[in-house]
Amino acid sequence: MLSILRWGVIASFLICIISLIIMVLKTLSFGRKPVYAKSQGKGIRGILYAFGKGMMPWEKESTRRHILTYTGGTLYHGGIFAAFFCLFSLVMSFELSIPLKFLCSILIGLGFLSGVGLLVKRILLIPLRKISCVDDFAANLAVDVFLALALLNIFYPGLETFFYGASIILFLYIPAGKVRHCVFFFYARILFGLFYGRRGVLPRKIRFET
Amino acid sequence: MNEEKKYQKDFFEDRIENIKAEDIRKALYVFHRKLSNQSAAYLNSCLHCGLCADSCHYYLSTGEIPSIPAYKLSLIEKIFKKHFTLLGKRAPGWVKAKDLTKDLLPEWIDSLFGRCTLCGRCSLNCSVGLNIAYLIRAARGALASVGLVPPGLQSTINTAILKGNSMALPREDWIETVEWLAEELRAEVNDPQAEIPLDRKGARLLYTVNPREPMFFPLSIVAVAKIFYAAGESWTLSSEDYDVTNYGFHSGDDNVAALISGRLVRSMEKLGTQDLVLAECGHGFNSNRWEAPEWLAKKYGFDVKSIIQIVADYIQKGRLKLDPSRNPEPVTLQDPCHLVRLGGIVEEQRYILKRAVARFIEMNPNREKNFCCGGGGGQLAMPRFAKRRLEAGKIKADQIKETEAKVVASPCHNCIDQLLELNKHFDLRVKIKTVAEIVADALVI
Ligand code: SF4
Ligand code: SF4
Repeated sequence: MLSILRWGVIASFLICIISLIIMVLKTLSFGRKPVYAKSQGKGIRGILYAFGKGMMPWEKESTRRHILTYTGGTLYHGGIFAAFFCLFSLVMSFELSIPLKFLCSILIGLGFLSGVGLLVKRILLIPLRKISCVDDFAANLAVDVFLALALLNIFYPGLETFFYGASIILFLYIPAGKVRHCVFFFYARILFGLFYGRRGVLPRKIRFET
Repeated sequence: MNEEKKYQKDFFEDRIENIKAEDIRKALYVFHRKLSNQSAAYLNSCLHCGLCADSCHYYLSTGEIPSIPAYKLSLIEKIFKKHFTLLGKRAPGWVKAKDLTKDLLPEWIDSLFGRCTLCGRCSLNCSVGLNIAYLIRAARGALASVGLVPPGLQSTINTAILKGNSMALPREDWIETVEWLAEELRAEVNDPQAEIPLDRKGARLLYTVNPREPMFFPLSIVAVAKIFYAAGESWTLSSEDYDVTNYGFHSGDDNVAALISGRLVRSMEKLGTQDLVLAECGHGFNSNRWEAPEWLAKKYGFDVKSIIQIVADYIQKGRLKLDPSRNPEPVTLQDPCHLVRLGGIVEEQRYILKRAVARFIEMNPNREKNFCCGGGGGQLAMPRFAKRRLEAGKIKADQIKETEAKVVASPCHNCIDQLLELNKHFDLRVKIKTVAEIVADALVI
C-alpha cells in the first residue's frame, strides 16, 4: 500500500509539473508585444529589485500596514517548503537527522498556524471574503491539511499513508487552483521588474541629485 | 443637467440596455486580442490577499468593496477564467468564472471607468506586482470597441479626432492666441525681439501644449516661452498638431490613441525638429513617451521629453538663473501618477523646485509612492462619476493640508483641474501652479 502511495506521490508530482509547464506555455502563446519605446532604465535592474529590495516589508506601504499578514504569509511559505522537504526525504527514503527534524517541525508548525490564521482572516473579514472564491478557501485548506500531516508524521511516522494521500491531492490541485501562483508569482514578478526597471522608476534612476 | 448632457446620458443607458449579443461577442474578441502573455500571466496570479485595498484612493476614501483593486481586477479575471482556465470552464462557480454578459456590463462600466484613475498605485503595493491599471485599460478597450465609453469621455475623444484637439480650438484662434501671447512675452521680458515661434522648420525642440492652456490658462504658455527665451533655446510650436493630451489612452482604444499620438509624430516629421517636448501633462507624457511607440508599432527617430526634464537640464547646465526669494511662500508638489510612477520622471521636478522656491515641502508619501489626485484616467471628462471623483480626492486634500504649504505645484494640467476643484470642495486655500509658472516667476533675466 505504502509503495503504491509513494508512486502515487511521484506520479502526481510529475502531473503537477507537466501541467504547470503546459500552463506557462499556454500563457506564452498569448504572444509577446514587441517593445518600441526607448527605455530609460534597465529591465534587469528592475527584476533584481522585484526579487530583492522590492520584497522587503519596509519597501511597500501595504506590507508595512499589514505586517502581521506579511509575517504570516512568509511563515506559511517557509512551512510549505519544509513540508515538501520532509515529503522528499520520505519518498527518497532517507532519514532526517534529529536537529533537522526539529527545525522542520518548528517551521511546519509555524507555517500551519499561519495558514490557519490566514484562513480565519479570510472567513472573518468581509472585504476579503467578498474578493474570495471557493478556490481560495479550498487551496488554503488543502495546504493546511498537508502541513498538519507533515508535522504529525514527524512525530508519528505511522501516519505516512495520510501524509502521502494529502500530498497527492495537493499536487493534483496545484495547477488547477490558485496554488499555481507558485510559478506565476515569479512570472508576474519578472514582468513587474521589467516594466518599472525599463521606465527607470524602480530602482529609481537618479539623473538629478536633489 | 443641461439638455445635451441628459440626452447623452439617456442615450448611453439605452445603449447598455439594448446591447446585442453580437456586440458582446465583439467586445470579447477585442478583449482576447488585447491579451498578451503579460496580461495572461497577471490574470493567473492574483492571490486574493486583499493587500492592495488600502493603496487605492477610492477604497481609502469610501471603504466601498467594489473600489478594492482586487475586486475591480476580479471583474476581468472572471471572463479570463471562464474562457482560458480548466476550472473556470468546468466548475465556474468554484473560481467565480463568468461569461461577459449583458448583466455584467453596468458593473464593468461603473467599476472599470468609474472607480479607477489608472494610477498604478495598487501595482506597487500588490503582493505579486500585478499591473492592474493596464488590465483595466485593456477591459476599457473592449467596452470602447462596442461604444460603451461613458459619454463625456467619448465626446472628448470625438472632438479630438474631428477637430484636431480635445478642446475644439479652431486653428485660427490658436494662431491668434500665440500672436497675442508673443506680445505678452515681449512685455514680460522687455525685449521687442522676443517671440513665440510657430511652425519654425529645423528648430531643436517642438513644444506641445494642453489645449486647456490657450482656452483657459494661456499664461502658462508664456511661462514656458519665457524659460525658453532665458535659456536661448531654439524651439517652435506647431499651428496644427500640438495637442499633448490623448483621451484614447483613458478609453483603452489603442487605434484612437495611435491616431491622436501619431499627429505629434507627423508634426515632428513635417517640421524636422530634433526632440518632442511635452507640456506638463501626466497622461500626455505616458501616452506619447511610453505607449505611443507601441500603439504605432514604431521606433521613434527622435527623443520624447517632458518640459520638466528640459528645465531641469537648463538649470543643471547653468542656462537659467533663478532667484528663489521671488517665490517666498511654502510650496509642495503633486506627483502626477503618469509622469512619475508610470513615467519615470521623479527627481527632476524636485531639483527644479528646490532651486526656484524659498521653501519646498514634500507631501507624504511622495514620488512613485504618491497618491493619485483623483482626476486621472479620464475622470474629469466623465461627469457621471464626478461625486465619487471628489470624494476620492480627499486623500490628496489631506496630504496637502498636512504640508501646510500655500502653493501646490503640479506638472500636470489635468491634476491642476482636479486640484482646483479639491481646493474649493475641501477649503484648502492654496494656490495651484504649474512648475513652469513657478520657474518663470523666479527667473532672473
Ligand atoms: S490603478 Fe489606481 S485607481 Fe485604479 S485600482 Fe489601482 S490604485 Fe485604484
Ligand atoms: S495585492 Fe495583488 S495579489 Fe493580493 S489581492 Fe490585490 S491584486 Fe491580488
